[in-house]
Formats: sequence, C-alpha cells, structure tokens
Amino acid sequence: MTGAALEARGVSKGFPGVQALKDVSLGLAKGSIHALLGENGAGKSTLIKIVTGVHRPDSGELLLDGAPVGFASPRDAIAARIGTVHQERNLIPRFSVGENIMLEQLGSRALRPIDYGRVNTEAKRWLASLDLDLDLDMPVSRLSVAQMQMVEIAKALALRSRVLLLDEPTASLTPHETVALFRLLRKLKDEGVSMLFVSHKLEEVQEICDAVTVLRDGRNACESRAMAGLGRQDLVRLMIGRAEQIPDWQARDVSAAPVALELKDVSTSLGHRGIDLTLRKGEILGLYGLVGAGRTELAKSIIGLYPATGGTIEVNRVPVTIGNVSEAIRTHRIGYVSEDRKGEGLVLMHSVLENAGMTLWRRLTSRLGLLTDAAVRSRTEPFIRKLEVRTPSLHQTVGNLSGGNQQKISVAKWLAEGVDILIVDEPTVGIDIKTKAYLHELLRDLSAAGTAVLLITSDMPEMITLADRVVVMNAYRIQGDLPNTRDYDAMSHAIMDLIHRAEAA
Amino acid sequence: MPPGARATSLPATDAARPQGRSALVGRSGAPRFYLTNEFGLLVLILGFGAIFGLATPGFLSAFNQFNLGRTAAINAMIGFSMMTVIVTGGLNLAVGAIGVCSAMAMGWLIQGLGLPWPVAILGGVGLGAALGLVNGWMVVRSGLHSFIITLATMSIFFGVMVFLTRAQSFRGLPPVFAEFGRMKLLGWVSPLLLVAVAAALGLILLYRFTALGREMLAAGARPEAATLSGIQVGRVFVLCHMLSGAIAAVTALLVVARTGAAIPSMAGQLGQDWLLPAFLGPVLGGTLLSGGRVSVIGTFLGSVLVTMLANGLLLLKIGEFWVQSCLGLLLLAAVLLDKGRRSFLASRKIAG
Amino acid sequence: MSPFARALRTDWFGPLLVTILAVILVSAFDPSFLAPFNIQVLLLAVAVNALIAFSQMIIIAIGQMNLAVGAIGGLAAISFAGAMQVWGLPPLLAAIMGLGIGLLAGALNGLFIAWTGISAFVITLASLSIFKGINLGITKAEPFYGVPQSVKAFGATTVLGPIPWIAVPALVVAVLLWFLLSRLPLGRFILALGGNAHAAELSGISVSRTTIAAHAISGGLAALAGLMLVARLQIGQPTIGDDWLILSFAAPVIGGAVLSGGHVSVAATVLGTVIVAIITQALVLFRIDPFFVQVVLGVLILWAVGLNRWKDTRLAGTPKGAMS
Repeated sequence: MTGAALEARGVSKGFPGVQALKDVSLGLAKGSIHALLGENGAGKSTLIKIVTGVHRPDSGELLLDGAPVGFASPRDAIAARIGTVHQERNLIPRFSVGENIMLEQLGSRALRPIDYGRVNTEAKRWLASLDLDLDLDMPVSRLSVAQMQMVEIAKALALRSRVLLLDEPTASLTPHETVALFRLLRKLKDEGVSMLFVSHKLEEVQEICDAVTVLRDGRNACESRAMAGLGRQDLVRLMIGRAEQIPDWQARDVSAAPVALELKDVSTSLGHRGIDLTLRKGEILGLYGLVGAGRTELAKSIIGLYPATGGTIEVNRVPVTIGNVSEAIRTHRIGYVSEDRKGEGLVLMHSVLENAGMTLWRRLTSRLGLLTDAAVRSRTEPFIRKLEVRTPSLHQTVGNLSGGNQQKISVAKWLAEGVDILIVDEPTVGIDIKTKAYLHELLRDLSAAGTAVLLITSDMPEMITLADRVVVMNAYRIQGDLPNTRDYDAMSHAIMDLIHRAEAA
Repeated sequence: MPPGARATSLPATDAARPQGRSALVGRSGAPRFYLTNEFGLLVLILGFGAIFGLATPGFLSAFNQFNLGRTAAINAMIGFSMMTVIVTGGLNLAVGAIGVCSAMAMGWLIQGLGLPWPVAILGGVGLGAALGLVNGWMVVRSGLHSFIITLATMSIFFGVMVFLTRAQSFRGLPPVFAEFGRMKLLGWVSPLLLVAVAAALGLILLYRFTALGREMLAAGARPEAATLSGIQVGRVFVLCHMLSGAIAAVTALLVVARTGAAIPSMAGQLGQDWLLPAFLGPVLGGTLLSGGRVSVIGTFLGSVLVTMLANGLLLLKIGEFWVQSCLGLLLLAAVLLDKGRRSFLASRKIAG
Repeated sequence: MSPFARALRTDWFGPLLVTILAVILVSAFDPSFLAPFNIQVLLLAVAVNALIAFSQMIIIAIGQMNLAVGAIGGLAAISFAGAMQVWGLPPLLAAIMGLGIGLLAGALNGLFIAWTGISAFVITLASLSIFKGINLGITKAEPFYGVPQSVKAFGATTVLGPIPWIAVPALVVAVLLWFLLSRLPLGRFILALGGNAHAAELSGISVSRTTIAAHAISGGLAALAGLMLVARLQIGQPTIGDDWLILSFAAPVIGGAVLSGGHVSVAATVLGTVIVAIITQALVLFRIDPFFVQVVLGVLILWAVGLNRWKDTRLAGTPKGAMS
C-alpha cells in the first residue's frame, strides 16, 4: 500500500499458552483517522504494544512511511515519532503542564541544565496550536480528566508525532468534552497527522473514523476497510463473527411487586445529592451513566462503604443505616459485584474455593471455631457448577482463569451467599460474547426468581436488553427515569438527551 | 432456558483439568512437593547439615545441637512475629522493640511488684499485644504504610522502655526461667524448640482452619476485594499486628529463659538486631512480602537453615563478623532463587 | 493567591515556623542556647545529619527506601580511616576512596533493585547486613585511631564565627542537590520516576538507569556523612552509621517528603534536621535523659507523616480547575 504512514504486515505474536496475534495486517493512511476494533482479548492491546515498542512481534513487519522498522523499547517508538495517548493518564502528577508536555525533551544529557525558558515557550506553542488555554505552571494533578487528556495530546505532538495512537480516549469524557476532542482530532487530521483510534463506542467510531480494521481472536476480521457504508450492525458482525443476537425479552411491569430497596433524597460525602431510587423485588433496574457519573460510588455508598450523609435508605420498607459492608451483606442481604473484577471483585492470587466462599467463612465455622475446606466446598460447589465455571480444580488460582470464568466466580460468590438485592456493576466488561449472553440469562433468571437487581452499565445494548426500567445518572445526580421501550435508537436518543440536558443546565 | 437446567451438562471441576502439565502439578492444582519451596529448604538443611557434620567435629555434638535448637526456636519465633504482619502486605520494624519492652515489663512485674511469674508472663505478653494494637490502630487509621509507622514506634517504644528502666536489667528473676532455658529433653532437645513448634502448629491452624485466618490472608492479598465481601479489613489488620506483638513478647520471654535475665540490650539498639532474622525466615520460607500468602512451615525451615548456617560458619572459624555478611548474601541469593523458581512455575502457569 | 497563602503551601514554611518557634522557646528558657559554642555544636549536628537525611531523601524521591545508608556510611568511614592508618594514604586520596566505596555500594544496591525488580526494602536489608559484616570483619569491631592531624583539625575547627568546617561540604551538597532536583534532567527524571514510574518509562526515561543513579548518589552522600563523622569523632569508629536509620527518615519526612515518591524538598529537609538538632540539644540543656531523644524522634516522624497526609487529602479536596 502506498501513502501509508504506518503499516503492519502479517504480524504474529504469541505468549506462553496464547497466540495473541496471527498474521495481522493494518494500513494507516496518511492524514486519516483509522479505527481499531475488536472485543476484549481480540488482540488490540497486543497490536498497540507492538506498535509502541513494548512487545516485539514474533514474525511479520512494521513499516513507517514504507520503511521497515524494529522497536526494541518504547523509547525507540517515541524516537520514530509515534505518540500514544494512553487509557490511564501517563503524566507526572506534581510536574507542571509545561514540563509534562516537554518531558521527553528535557535534555539529552542527564547533567546539562534544563532551559526552562525554552521548555515553556515550546510547550506554550504546542498548546496554542491546539487552541488550548492552560496555565503552564499548574501541576497536572489539579487539572480535570479532559484537560489532562489534552495535555497528553500536546505531549505527543511536542514529539512531532506523525502517528498518534488514541487508546479509548473518550472513556471518561462527558459528551461536551468528547465533542471538543473530536474537533481537535479533525484539526490534527487536516494538518496531516495520522491517528489510530481504539474505542468500544461504535457510534463514535462511525462519526470520526475514515477506515477501520477489526480484530477477532487475534486475526484480521477485516483490514483497513473504508468506514463509509459500514453500519453499526456490520461492525458488530465483524467483531463477534455473527449478527448481534438480542434476546427478545420484554420489559416486565413490576410496579405491583414489593419494594426491596428505596433511596429517598440521599446525599453522600462523595457528592451525591437528592438521590431518589426505587428497586422492586423481581426487577432489573438499569442505572445508566457515563464513566464518572457517580454510579459505582452510589453503589458503594448503598453497601455501607461510604455511608450516606443525608436522606433515608429503606430496605424492605424499613429505614436502615448501613455502616459497613458486613452489615449490608449479613443483615440486609445486599451484594455488590464490582466493575473492577481484578482489583475489587476477586483475590486473584487465591483459589476458586477461597474466592467463592469468602462471604461465608464466618457462618461455616463449626462450634469448635474451625473452618474446613469441605464445609466451604459443600456450600459453594453447586453454584460453581451451576455457572459452568471452567477450571481444572477448585484449588486453581483464580488469576489463571479466563476473564469470563473469573466473572462467573465473582457472581457465584453472591449466589452462594444468597442475597436478596444484587448490585452488578459493568458485569460483562472484558468478557467473551458467550459468557456475556450467559450472564445476561442468569441475571434475568435471578430477577424472575425474586431477586432485586440493580444493573450499572455503560453498555447501551446491554442496558436495553436487560433492564425493565432505566434510571439515568449524571454528575452525581439522578437525571431521569425511563421505561425501557426496547427500541435501541429511541432509547439511546432519550438517554443521551437527558445527559446533554443535564450538562447544559 | 434457565441456567440451572444446564447444570449437569458440563462437569466443572477436577475431571476437566487440561492436559500437559500434570507432571508438575499435584491433585489439588498446587505444584508437586518436590517443586515447593519447603522441599528445597529441607534439602538445603540436610545438605548443609551433612557438610558441617563432616567438616567440623563439634557440629553434631549434643551440646551444639541443643544450642542450635534454642537459637533456631528463637529465630523462628522472630520470623513468625514478622510473618503475621507481612500477611497484611505490611511489615513491623518494631518486633524487637516490642519484644524487649515485654520482657522488661515482665521483669518489672516480678522484681518491682513481686507478682508471681505466671501472672508476669501474661502481663508481658499482654503488653506485647497492646503495643501491636497501637501499631495496627495507627496504620489502619492513618492509611500510611506500616513501614514508617513502625519505624517511629520502634523508636518510641524502645526510648520509653530505656527511660523507665534507666537501662537497668532485671537479673533477680525466679529460677524457673533459667531452668526452662537449660532443660534438655531426650538429651539435646530444648523446650524452647517445642514452644516454637507449638506456635507453628497454632499458626497453621489459624491460617488453614479458621475464618479469621482466611480473612487475614484475603484482606492482605486484596483489601478492596475483602472489604466488598464483608470482611472488616481494618479490624483484621489490627488483629494481625496484635498477634505479631504477642508473638514478639513470647519470643523475648524465650530469650529471657536462655540468658536468665531481662536485659534492655537483648535485641540490640532499638531492637534492630531482630530485623534480619525477622525477614530471613519468612522470605526464605516463601512468604510474599506483598501480602496474602504465608508459609508457616517454610518460615520455620528458613529460620532453621539460617541458624544452622550461622552456627556452622562459626564452627568453621569463618569469624563471627563475616557471618553477618554471609547471612546478607544468603538473603540476596534466596530472593533471586525464589524469583527464578516463580518465573519457572509461572511459565507453566502453576501458582508458586 | 496571596503571597502568604502561597507560602503556606510550600514545604519549607511549616518547618521554618517550627524552627523559629523552637529557637525562641528554648532560648527563652535558657539564654545560653544562643551562645556561639552552642550554635557551633548545633551546626555540627545539622551538617552531618543533613547529609544522612539527603542520602535517604534521594531514595524517597524515587519512591523507595534505603535501609543500608548507615551500613554504607560506616563502611566508607572505616575504609577512610583504615586507609590512612594502615596504608598511610594521604587524607584526600583516602577520602576519594571512601566516597568511591559509597558510590559503588549504592550503585550495587540500585543495580540489584533495577535488575531483579525485587523490593528495595529486601535488597537493602540484605546489603545492610553484607556491608556491616564487611565493616566488622575488617575492623574486628575495633576503631582506627590513627587519623591524621589535618583530618582532626577539619573536624574540630571553624571557618567563620561559629560555623564549623564540616558544615561546608553539607552546604555545597545541599546547593548541588537543589540544582539537581530542580534544574538537571537527571533530577527531574528521579522525581518523575517517583511520581509515576509507568508514565516515566513510557516517556522514554530509563527506569533502571535512573534507579541506579539515585542509589549511587545516596551511597555517595552516606559515605560523605561517614567521612565527616570520622573527622568529627577524630577516630574511625566501626559503629558509625548504626543509629542512622531513624535519623535518615525523620528529616525528609518532617520536610514534607512523600514516601511514595515524586516529591521531596532540599530546603525543608535541612530545616527538618535543624528541628531535630534543636530538640536534641534542648533535651541535653534541660538535662532530660538522652534516651528520650529516641522517643522524640519517633513522635516527630508520626506527627510529620500525619500532617503530610492531612495536607495531601485537604489539597486533593480542593476543587479542580474549571473545565475547558
């Protein structure tokens, strides 16, 4: 291909036990925005790590402007003018905006004094070229998330990057900020910068990208196709290999069912104000919002991690104060499946059995004060089997299981505990389609059996598939309450409308 | 179709073990015994024992074995004292200071207040636990790493102790202590060793067969996950520090039994002399410094190995000062070896 | 922001206030505190302790800890004294050798940490034991008494008024460190590494080289402190360095250093050592048991880390800059 700023040809990469990439190709045309799509585990991050010099490919080659290159380290990629805007903020919190932008260019000699005059003039020039007005001396730790991202882009440009990798750049941006970011990306594109755009949000990809490469199971599902003419369903089919199958469940009317959990005018130390929420037995209530809207924080305050500072919380119509998680579980029968499976949901270094039985240990202790594996096993194994967790043994370290199986264990824990109210936070992020469908079925069945389920998700199709009712949250407030019509376009429009209106206000 | 209806279709457990790694993995999914750290330590102990036994005439004598046993018991207990806090992913630099404070408190209860010795022992151990409580409470409340907190309390505890005792020893203790220290069972086994073995059994029971022990491990491995599962992580951490303090106190009492007196300098300046044995045992034994995994037997064996090496090197007339360098090198070698072993197991996807 | 509010935010303001307050208080109770001799004693303590504190501070900056500062300082000290006594090396050459040993010992620490990825705590605990063992193996725990007159004079005389010669190297080091950490790429890399190691690496900063450099500097500073102590004590004591651990953490922490790395202050660390020295001397002046110094040091550390923590959470709680 001619005119490609960056090209990958037949790249393969294996890790012990996994073939992450098999013969993958991609051509990023000069001055274009190119989408890289794929499910979690499809090989996107491995490809990005190869392009940024973190990994070396086993076979295949990488070409910059038609010339083959080999990167031994991230520094080589930087030297080749490939800039990356990472998912997690890669800035030095206590350093100033100016110094962060120029960090790579503070000096080639470790002991030659830094010319801060030059550093600041140049940093200023890059900010100006992006039409950004930021205080150069402000420590980046005091910027907003969106501002930090702009600093990262300026930092990449300061290296005169001709290729820019954007890894989920909009994940924590509000719609307004996303609009501003896209304006900036278009401007860069006009100036000839080539960009690789990784995102889960298909709407955004369709809006901003010129071409698309889709990875599935480490292979090209499509290579550098023009975006024009591809619809959402086409992209989904490329990603998962078949059309999206949305179960034709109907939203259930549970307005007559008894209320399991009710929040009245609740406020928290984290910033929630005037939260009203009603969750009934046997329903799935969807809590929709963008990253940072305060949904996870609300869940954690319900289970007593950050106790409410105002208003009342009622469980089964009885006003309660939940002081800690132990009380939430044992007294009020509320469980919470964390969005951060590896950080908060599971103890990765411990076994399947340890993880599944964690909430039960106290209760399974015999009169002599002893707790045996047999006791834990008899209580948890039925649920581990029921969820079809694929593990060589109950003593297997959870960290060695696949993401889908890990998520099943973090759900099995609560089934074994037998809670009445289950809060699930982004339950299917990063897991395969099959397990995802399975977990959807499971949640539906649980609610049908009488469990009250509060579903927190940023995955619009998931919300529309599962929820009986949708509550929209933005900036730590409830913005509105919608019945689920199961009409994707109408629903997503109505939800985004609520968020926009809240932002405008 | 409800998920429950498919429950029988897929066996989820032992039968479905993937092929290809069975040679290295036992039935439970843990590595085979000959690949464990404990086995390696056992081999080293026997190997070095044989070398020292052949190279020096005194090593296998009943007298030397008796002494070795006493020192190993004390080192193992010091290791346990540190291990119980390492479980939380933290550390307790104040083990030595707490130990000395407890021993001195016991001495004072006997000599100053004239209390009977069993009561005084309880008082000493109680003080150890209380000082551990202070550490644990401050670590949990401040959210700071236990390194800096226990660095400060090490200094405070020791300073207050010296201030109160005017740096004077308690030498008029009842003869039971010295007799206990001198007692020989079966000709060479010190009862101190039995105390350490009993402590080891107690700790194994705690970590393997009680809810509290498992909570300690879970909270240490991933406090966030433990919290969300209803474990009161703060309380558990405080208990870990109290346990550490109590074990340190018992250890100091063993030292008192060996020397026959409670001496402020029994663990060196600020109790720092205990730090190296405190880490050598657990680190050699395969306890993770980041928390969440312990090996009681490994810590015990590690301490035995260290004590034996020190003893053997002394008998080889290496010069007592160089022994310290050798122990430092041993710690370095141990962490390197363990790193190698872990990456070998990890490359085969076995939990080390 | 008013100048006062800005000063309040800096690291040196609090310690400076405490220093001034302490001076006023102590001299009010005992006017002899401000006598030239007392000031000289104070400066002697500050000079050596500041070097010890800097040695730890540079490691705190990269978010690690160095338990071996005392062992390195002690080893350098006895090498310095031993080289002069046993080999008859001229003091300057012996000093260069001592400093070289410190740099090398520190670099070895850094090398091991960077190469194995094992926590600095364990590596420096091991090397503490190795270095201390070598020290005792060489000296058999006996001091070297044959320190030349010129070295003794350096440790006992003053440059100007009550300012002792020993304070000169400490002052030079303080200025150099300040310059390193605020103006030289290496210093900024050290702070960047402590602030966000991942980001630093992705920005093309070599984590291993920076780690090794920081540990080498730490070793060199510990060695320098050891040499100064030989001059001050007039003998090469094998016990030099035994009691440095707490001292080395107290001053940087009082000076607002963040233990997780990325933020240290040279000026505030110096003030930290001044505070420690004033309190120590006040205890002597008021005839309080010298062992009580340990208690005070411990309390100071707890107080300082508590205060830093409080400042941090409070600052984090202030509203973020307006959205674009």
